[in-house]
Amino acid sequence: MSVCRPARCLLTRTTTTAALPKSSTTPSKHHFSTSTPRPARRRPHYPNIKASTLKLLNEAAETAHPKYQERELDLLSKKYTPSQLAAIRAAEQTIDARDLLTQSQRRTDPWRLPYDDDLAEVDPVTDHADKLSASDIKGRKDVRAANEIESNEAIAKLATAELAKLYPDGIPEGQLTFEQQNRLEEAMEAALTQAALDPRAVYTGDEDAVRALADHRHSVVLPDLPRIETRMAKATRRLANEEQEDPRQKRLLQYLGWDKQKLRDIRVKTLVTHGVTNQTRMGKIRSLYYLTIAGNGEGLLGVGEGKSVEPEEGRVESVIAAIRNMKPIPRYENRTIFGDLERKVGATKVELFSRPPGFGLRCQHLIFEMARAAGLQDLSARVPRSRNKMNVIKATWEALTNQKLPDEIARARGVKLVDVRKVYYGGSVH
Amino acid sequence: MSLVNLAHVCSHLQNASKARLGVTSIPVSKLHVRLMLQLQKHGFLSSVTLGGPTPPLPFVLQSQSSEEEAAALASKLANEPWLAYPAPETASNKKSTLGEEKVYEVQVPANPARRRLWLGLKYWNNEPVLNKMELISKPTRRIWVGSEELGVITRSRRSGYIAGMTRPGECIFVSTDRGILEARECVERKLGGQPLARVY
Repeated sequence: MSVCRPARCLLTRTTTTAALPKSSTTPSKHHFSTSTPRPARRRPHYPNIKASTLKLLNEAAETAHPKYQERELDLLSKKYTPSQLAAIRAAEQTIDARDLLTQSQRRTDPWRLPYDDDLAEVDPVTDHADKLSASDIKGRKDVRAANEIESNEAIAKLATAELAKLYPDGIPEGQLTFEQQNRLEEAMEAALTQAALDPRAVYTGDEDAVRALADHRHSVVLPDLPRIETRMAKATRRLANEEQEDPRQKRLLQYLGWDKQKLRDIRVKTLVTHGVTNQTRMGKIRSLYYLTIAGNGEGLLGVGEGKSVEPEEGRVESVIAAIRNMKPIPRYENRTIFGDLERKVGATKVELFSRPPGFGLRCQHLIFEMARAAGLQDLSARVPRSRNKMNVIKATWEALTNQKLPDEIARARGVKLVDVRKVYYGGSVH
Repeated sequence: MSLVNLAHVCSHLQNASKARLGVTSIPVSKLHVRLMLQLQKHGFLSSVTLGGPTPPLPFVLQSQSSEEEAAALASKLANEPWLAYPAPETASNKKSTLGEEKVYEVQVPANPARRRLWLGLKYWNNEPVLNKMELISKPTRRIWVGSEELGVITRSRRSGYIAGMTRPGECIFVSTDRGILEARECVERKLGGQPLARVY
C-alpha cells in the first residue's frame, strides 16, 4: 500500500498541474499523512433521539415511576401536613422520571443493605438498639461496690440464670456419661466466670440502676461485637486447659514486654538448616545449626541462630533469638527501601534497589522471605559475589537495618532535603 | 584541568573520612578550590581554608570574644534580632553595630608550591558525612553530558556511561561554563558539562 501511494500522488499532481491554476482556498484532494482524515461533517454533541424512541421512553418512565393518583394524594394528605405534602410534590417534580429510568440503577455491590429499607425506623432485629441516657433509669441512680456476701449472692443468681439459658429443660440428673459430665462442668465454669465479670455482681444499689450497668444500650461502646456470652467463656476455658508453657517463651515475653497474642502475629521462618560436627578426642559430636528470620510484616525484622544436638531444641533457640533480635527497618511509603543499599559480609555482597509501587519482590528466595517478613513490597536485589546463604541473610539484614534516612542526611549536612513525591499533586501521589 | 590529581583528592578524602580525621589538606588548584567550595556549600565539608604546610588553628582555639562580650551580644540580638543580618554598608555604619568581628589571619606562603588547601571533614552519629567520592569523567575516558541526560540521571535512571543518582542524598558535581555546579542545579539552569565526581 505504501508503495502504491507515491504513484497515485504523482498522478494526481500531474493532472492538477495540467489544469488551470486553482485558487489556494480549495482543499487539495490527496492526503499528506497516513492518518485517517477527519470527517467533514461535525458530529453533534448530543445523540439525536427520534420522536418514536422518546415516546417509548416516556411510556416506560411512566410505568416504572407513575405519578400520584388523586386517591393516593388524599391518603398522603391524611398522613402529612400541607407543607410536607408541598415538599413531596416539589421533589417529585424536580426529579424527571426519564432520568430516573435511564440513569438510576439498583445497587448490586456487596456492601448494599441486605434488605429494602429507607432507614427511617429502627428495626429491632437488624439495627442497633437506641442508646439510653441516665434519664431513662427510673428512681434513684445510686450504686455502690457490693460487699462479699451481696456479691456472692448476685453471682449465684446470675450464674443460675445463665445455666438456665444453656439447659432450658433443666440440668440433666442421674447417671451422666463422661461427655455430658464434661460439658456440664464447662458450662458451670463458664457461667460462674461470666457472672463474676458481670457488673451486677460487683455493684449493688437501686435495682434499675444496677440493671442499667449490664444493659448494653447504656454502654458507650457500640454493641456490634458479640456480648461476653460465648466468647468470654470460650476464652477462659481455653486458658484453663492450656497449662504447658515453654519457660523460654515466657522469658522471651518478659524480655519483650509483650503478650502471647502479639507473639502469635510474628512471622517466623527457618531458612537455613545444616548439620555441624565438633571433633573432640572422644569422637565427633554432631549437632544441627538453624538460622531463622522473624518479622511482623510491618517493619520489624530479626535474624537468629541456634545450634543444638537435639534438632527441635536448636530450632526453638534460633526462633527465640530471631524474635529477640528484631529491629525496626525504615520503609519508604511502607513499601520499599530508601534508595539503593549495599552491604558486604565476608565474601558475600548484597545490593538492594528500591523500586516503584507495584514492582513486587523480584529477588532471590532468601531476600524475598526477609522482605516479606519485614513488610517490604517493592524491591529488587543482586548478589554478585558469593551466595553463601548465611552471609546473604546477614548482609541483607544489616543493609536493611542500617539505612541512611534523608532526614538524617539533611541534619548531617545542614542542608534541606525535600521528598518531591510529597510535594507534587498536593502530596496525593499514591 | 588534571583529573589525575582530582582522582587522588577523591581517594584521599575517602581515606581521611574512614580514618575519622578532623582536618586534612589537598594540593591547591583552581579546580580543587571550586569543587571543594561546592562540597562545602552542599554540607559535605565544614571548612575550606587556604594555608601553608601546617594546618590552620581550629575554630575553638582561635581567639574568641570574652564571655561578657558574648553575653552582651546575645542580649542585644535577643532585643534586636534583625541586627544579625548584614546592613548595607554606608559611611555612617562602617563599624558594625554588633561590635568588632574577630578575623583569624592565616599565613599563606608566598611560594605557591608550598600552599595547601585545608579541609574540615564532617561526622554525624559516628558516621562520616562524606562516605564515598569517585570520579565520573576519568583521565582515560572523559565524558561530557547535556542537560537532558543530566535530568535523566537526577531522576535516578542510567544515561550512557553514567549511572543514575539512586542513593539518598547523592550529588554529582559537573564542571560547566558557569563554574562547577551540582547536577540538579545544572538541570534547573539547563546547563551541560563534564561530570567530575559523584559524592554520597
